[in-house]
Amino acid sequence: MVRRRIWNRGDLRLLIVGLVFALAWAGIGYRLFNLQGSRAVALATVGFDQRISEQPIPAVRGTVYDRDGVELAMTIDGWNVVVDPMMLDDPAATALVLAPFADVGLAELTTEFVEAQSKGRRYAEVAMRVDSAHRDAIRAAIRSYNDANDPDIVGVFYREQPLRVYPTGDIAAQVIGLTAYDDGSGIEGLERTFNSELQGRPGKLIVEHDPSGRVIPQGQVLLEPATPGSDIVTTIDREIQFTVEQGLRKAIQKTNAIGGSIVVMDPETGAILAMASWPSLDLNDRSQVSPEVLRNRAVADVYEPGSTLKALTVAAAIDQGIVTKDTPIDTPKSVTVGDYEYEDIGRNPAWMSVADVVKRSSNVGTIEIERRLGKELHYDYLTAFGLGAPAGLDLAGERHGQLNPVSRWNETSGSSIAIGYAVGTTPLQMAAVYSAIANDGVYTEPYLVSEVIHPDGTRITAKPRTRRVISVETAVIMREILGRVVSAEDGTGRRARMTDFTAGGKTGSTNKFDVDLQRYTDETMASFIGMAPLNDPKIVIAVVLDTPTGSLEDGADLANGGASAAPVFAEVAQIVLHQLGIAPDKL
Amino acid sequence: MTDLLESKPASRFSIVDRTYTKQSRRTAFLLVIVALLLVIGLGAMLSASSVVSIRASSGQFQLFTKQVAWVVLGLVALVVASVVPYRTWHRLALPIYVATVFLLLLTLIVGATRGGATRWIVIGPFTIQAAEFAKFAALSLLAAAITKKDALLDNFWHVFVPVTVILGTVSALLLAQPDFGNIVLITLPAFAMLAASTVPMRFVFGLGSMGSLLLVIFAMSADYRKARLLSFLNPFDAPQGAGLQAVQSMVALGTGGLFGVGLGQSRARWSWLPNAHTDFIFAIIGEETGFAGALMVIVLFAFLAIVGVSIAYHARDRYGRLLAIGIVAWLTIQALVNIGGVVAVLPITGVPLPFISNGGNAMLVNLFAVGVLININRSTPASPQSGS
Repeated sequence: MVRRRIWNRGDLRLLIVGLVFALAWAGIGYRLFNLQGSRAVALATVGFDQRISEQPIPAVRGTVYDRDGVELAMTIDGWNVVVDPMMLDDPAATALVLAPFADVGLAELTTEFVEAQSKGRRYAEVAMRVDSAHRDAIRAAIRSYNDANDPDIVGVFYREQPLRVYPTGDIAAQVIGLTAYDDGSGIEGLERTFNSELQGRPGKLIVEHDPSGRVIPQGQVLLEPATPGSDIVTTIDREIQFTVEQGLRKAIQKTNAIGGSIVVMDPETGAILAMASWPSLDLNDRSQVSPEVLRNRAVADVYEPGSTLKALTVAAAIDQGIVTKDTPIDTPKSVTVGDYEYEDIGRNPAWMSVADVVKRSSNVGTIEIERRLGKELHYDYLTAFGLGAPAGLDLAGERHGQLNPVSRWNETSGSSIAIGYAVGTTPLQMAAVYSAIANDGVYTEPYLVSEVIHPDGTRITAKPRTRRVISVETAVIMREILGRVVSAEDGTGRRARMTDFTAGGKTGSTNKFDVDLQRYTDETMASFIGMAPLNDPKIVIAVVLDTPTGSLEDGADLANGGASAAPVFAEVAQIVLHQLGIAPDKL
Repeated sequence: MTDLLESKPASRFSIVDRTYTKQSRRTAFLLVIVALLLVIGLGAMLSASSVVSIRASSGQFQLFTKQVAWVVLGLVALVVASVVPYRTWHRLALPIYVATVFLLLLTLIVGATRGGATRWIVIGPFTIQAAEFAKFAALSLLAAAITKKDALLDNFWHVFVPVTVILGTVSALLLAQPDFGNIVLITLPAFAMLAASTVPMRFVFGLGSMGSLLLVIFAMSADYRKARLLSFLNPFDAPQGAGLQAVQSMVALGTGGLFGVGLGQSRARWSWLPNAHTDFIFAIIGEETGFAGALMVIVLFAFLAIVGVSIAYHARDRYGRLLAIGIVAWLTIQALVNIGGVVAVLPITGVPLPFISNGGNAMLVNLFAVGVLININRSTPASPQSGS
């Protein structure tokens, strides 16, 4: 045809162009198969890895209860309110709306927003760790602003931040302890020692996100839920704890002591009903936190127990049948052991019965009794009564005191220890010693946590270990002796007398040892450890005051436990016994 | 279009009958290809643009609805172009070219600047991208010029002068915007047109080398272009920088695998792959429908080229043939450049994928060009409608 002749030259070239196109498409197709076939898995993995992120889901921390199920520490929903400054149209207006709810003032907040915006930062804090009501108030303020203004405030975010709160405030602060500000783990007190029970196991949320971290709505989501922490039930009785803290605070004021502690223990079970330490704090106010106020003196202060330990020496000697309560003991003005001279304070007769040695708190008499007991037996009883070892509370900061093994005792060790020197104990350990006497000679390890309640409802109940340390007879005799300390007109513990209940106990006053000066000072640790009612003790209370000064109206020196600590015992014990519903045994 | 709808006219000439049938088959084939590409494109748009639309808080379907409107407008242009005799474009080649040059100039003066480039004239809700119209105008005028110079094609200057003036003017104006992608999309199809013409091959190669050299010099002249062009060689060297789009595009394709993650299930569209609904829509198709779906698009474009070349082959005159091959080369090269960039065998130039990518002007002009192709096909010598 004509057409053929005209286009002959062009036809071939046209077809070649067409062929080039076809080949180009074939090449693209090959490449595509390469990407989507052979390299697909590798490329898809790159994509998966960049999209996937793991968000931890915090586990709700367990609750700490008192023995009646009242919350002492619990975790509630809380929020961190933050903004993305780059999303703010009007930083100043936004700051004005948020300032009333913010952690900082208006000027500071405005500066923060403007600065963050100019630096391109995507994060600025508004109010951290606020409760749901606070968050709702912020939301409402923004909503009402947005209803009236244009453009809206956008870019305010609420991030979940569980809050640890202490509904009872400053009650049993050092016992409960604290959690860390950042990760919420326990750093003090029961929060620390029971951290692994309380904290639970965090879960995780695996999500696909976009480059700016926002979750892709249709992406895969894998949820591994968090396991909440276990709850713990303490032996603390909130009301008794309150009474004890009031009593301690009053005593501190009255005696000008720099600190002190009181332990209330149920001698039959070993349960710690209250444990107070001063100085103290309100756990909800982090600004009050300092090592000084967090120290639980009842378990962390190691002091020389002084005369309160004489009860142990005498109990050991009676238990061994070496003396009876009526055995006469020579009590000269002083006695020299090795190159050290021990004296009695005040004037004593030339000899006294064992019971009177305790009542009058004679150093010389006690040293004589210890001499008859012998240091090996003495040491056995000291360890049996729990000295030199932790009392078993598992409380953060608990110390086990100091008791040298008998092999390292020197000439004066036995004598010194007999009257409560050269040995270090905590107030809790002394409460446990007296509890054994109160509990008919059976030592019961003190404990603070009676139950751990797992999230699934199962419970682990504490089973305190017990051991007999003295016979029932010895214990009964000892209570009689200790009762006379309080009831006798010339007893050192007469100020521990109550109107409604009988009581027994022992005073103690030791000069504090200045480690820097390497000598004893005039400052004292004044204590009284007692039990009531005397015939069937329901409570043992240890009162220890650090450096009380001044004197009572009758001139009694408050540096002595009998003057400063014994009245505190009387006041606290009477209320506590009534709180426990114990019938008065004094008519 | 009418070819499809009308029943076969009764004819006594069997030879004409058969030709006529082949001719209408080409039209039908072309329309089916374009229709399928449009459907795939709108489907992909619906998925890819939804994230952008949602984030712009203008409703999930905002971009999609706009695109549908442009497709409808483009189909009207297709029908009109398929009815208007293509010789009209031959006659009006110069005025149309002058008009688009004027539009390009106007763009530089009053145009809107986005991302450092002045490419758009904004009139109310509409934006006009003159470059899209310039493609047709330049190819049409070039076809007309070669037709006119038919007897003088052995003379270098008679080829050199019209080619350099026509392409040079437009390229210079696009360079001023700057719009490197559309310079490529005008000069490469023009080269293909020359290659398929009767212009001596030595001239074609000469002009081709010259043009290529200029393109390379231009491409390397700006640092960002240079970085982008070179990064395609090793995109994984800078997965967060110059290689970002290429890497994310390949990741999307790889994620799709052989059969895809499912319609509307793309992850890349969640801002991982920038321009997912425009230049990189093919990656979204590959991710959601896998190799199977992506291959279908490639096959459709390959068929488009074959049908187009066939129409050019059967064109009744020189201008028709040249314009037809010019249009086919334009659509094909644009698709190749786009998809080549997506599969990372070519540098990323930022040109839309014909019939599929978001973009109104391109959609309108592309469909108009298909209409012109149909008219060229209808006017082949054997056609009873074009003879008179």
